Amino acid sequence: MKASLQRTYLISRVTFLEAVRQRFFAFLIVLGATMVLSSLSFRFLDFGHGELKFIADFGFGGMFLFGSVLGVVMTAQLFFSEMDNRTALTLLAKPLSRTEFLLGKFFGAWAVLAVFLGVLSLLLGGVMWWREQAILVQAEQRGLLPGVFSASGMFAYALLQWLRLGVVIAIVLTISSIARTFLFAVIVGALAVVAGQLQWIAQDVLLKPTESLTYKAFLWTSSRLLPNLQQFNIGDALVLEPASVPADAIPWVVASGVFYMAAYLVLAAFIFRRREI
Amino acid sequence: MTSAISVRNLTKDFRIGIRGLKLRAVDDLTLEIPRGQVYGLLGPNGCGKSTTLKIILGLVPATAGEITILGQPSATASARERTGFLPEAPYFHKFLSGRELVRYCAQLSGVTAERVDQSVEEALALAAMTEAASRPIGTYSKGMLQRIGFAQAIVHDPELVILDEPTAGVDPVGSAAIGRMIHAMRDKGKTVVLCSHLLGQVEQVCDRVAIMDRGKLVLEGKVDDVLARRDRHVMTIEALTPAAQDAAETALAAHGAKVTSVTHPRRSLEDLFRELVTGSRDA
Repeated sequence: MKASLQRTYLISRVTFLEAVRQRFFAFLIVLGATMVLSSLSFRFLDFGHGELKFIADFGFGGMFLFGSVLGVVMTAQLFFSEMDNRTALTLLAKPLSRTEFLLGKFFGAWAVLAVFLGVLSLLLGGVMWWREQAILVQAEQRGLLPGVFSASGMFAYALLQWLRLGVVIAIVLTISSIARTFLFAVIVGALAVVAGQLQWIAQDVLLKPTESLTYKAFLWTSSRLLPNLQQFNIGDALVLEPASVPADAIPWVVASGVFYMAAYLVLAAFIFRRREI
Repeated sequence: MTSAISVRNLTKDFRIGIRGLKLRAVDDLTLEIPRGQVYGLLGPNGCGKSTTLKIILGLVPATAGEITILGQPSATASARERTGFLPEAPYFHKFLSGRELVRYCAQLSGVTAERVDQSVEEALALAAMTEAASRPIGTYSKGMLQRIGFAQAIVHDPELVILDEPTAGVDPVGSAAIGRMIHAMRDKGKTVVLCSHLLGQVEQVCDRVAIMDRGKLVLEGKVDDVLARRDRHVMTIEALTPAAQDAAETALAAHGAKVTSVTHPRRSLEDLFRELVTGSRDA
């Protein structure tokens, strides 16, 4: 067991080092940071929701968008670089199981996204804290009660996003273990993320009464095959309105995320076991 | 003692195209590779050599047949613990240094933390890569890539080393260095399986050879046995004059022997090259 964990760790460490050296990672982190900082320039467009809420939404959007792009493209790229360059031949000829190899890829990519989210969360948290100080002074002068930024909420938000992107990575690895080309894995992975974001529609339709058992079975399957990625948006409320989040909501979202992540990794390992290297 | 590798009735079919047409890459192959020898697996491109090696290492599943490595069923991680592999035209993570790569492979192969430093240095020394070990792999020449690939294959002191085209694209000096590494492995009692179509080198380093064609085994045996022509003899004579040659032919004819050709011995171009070029630039 210890040896297996060590091998998985070694693969994930090299995967992480390979990913953070890529210009693509640096490019997306700069893009994300630019989006967070640019929220300061556009904050007058807050549509009456309050400045902090606007900055938060702008930053969250950037983190999810660029995080998803990074999760899909980088995971597929890290997987196919091992296959196409045939480094996988050298590695899998060692006493390394395919499950260990796949888990190493997963944890390496997930660690990269931890760095990505960590940097952007710190930046967004800093921007929000800085603006909060200015807003508090103005609000006191006017006798108003503004929304308050929660640093612990920001931390919880980042963890939930990390979990969401972990699910995305697991889905992309499953697709990559079947796919023959990088492009196919990226396109299908991106479609899976979009479908996951829209999955609540299938759940809504499922709630409507219908006589057809086949239709109901189809909806039930399609609404559970992919995780509802929108459910992780609950983290948004933790940053500015933590009191509005029901106590049992977070554990449920976490359990759902962990379940889908584990299920997709098991499926990926099962498929990858039969793949010809 | 069990064989290093035992292959029984191995068959491999690949499905190609949308219609799933069957392409037979290996056809009912049976091989016994004894321990402690250098074994050459030869054949033209596409004859099934590399596929056979991949199946032996569990990288590709067999359609039919049984394979054991050092007495254990292949395709299990434990069977690969005592095996080292250098793939054809190896490619490694360019950002790692040679030493980092060999250390990474040592750790993946289960070398203990106490032994890892020593094992890495020994493997680098055997592959003549100690001096260049701190450089990133991206800066290595083809010959150096093969040598660092050799180092990663032997770093965990395996009993069986499988080398797929170890000298492809390497200059004769580098090729000779790899030949010396193979001999060093045999001197340590290791089994080396060498897959190549550089017949000259195979002849020099291998104890036994198997020749494959279109997925089938066409010849197998000791190198000396398969190459020797028992009905012909070669004598090397100095200062042979025409008169001496006539006398020798007459004497031989008296015993029923016949001289069929008289030529000057030639050294090989490889020997001449190695004599003139004392070391490659990346050595």
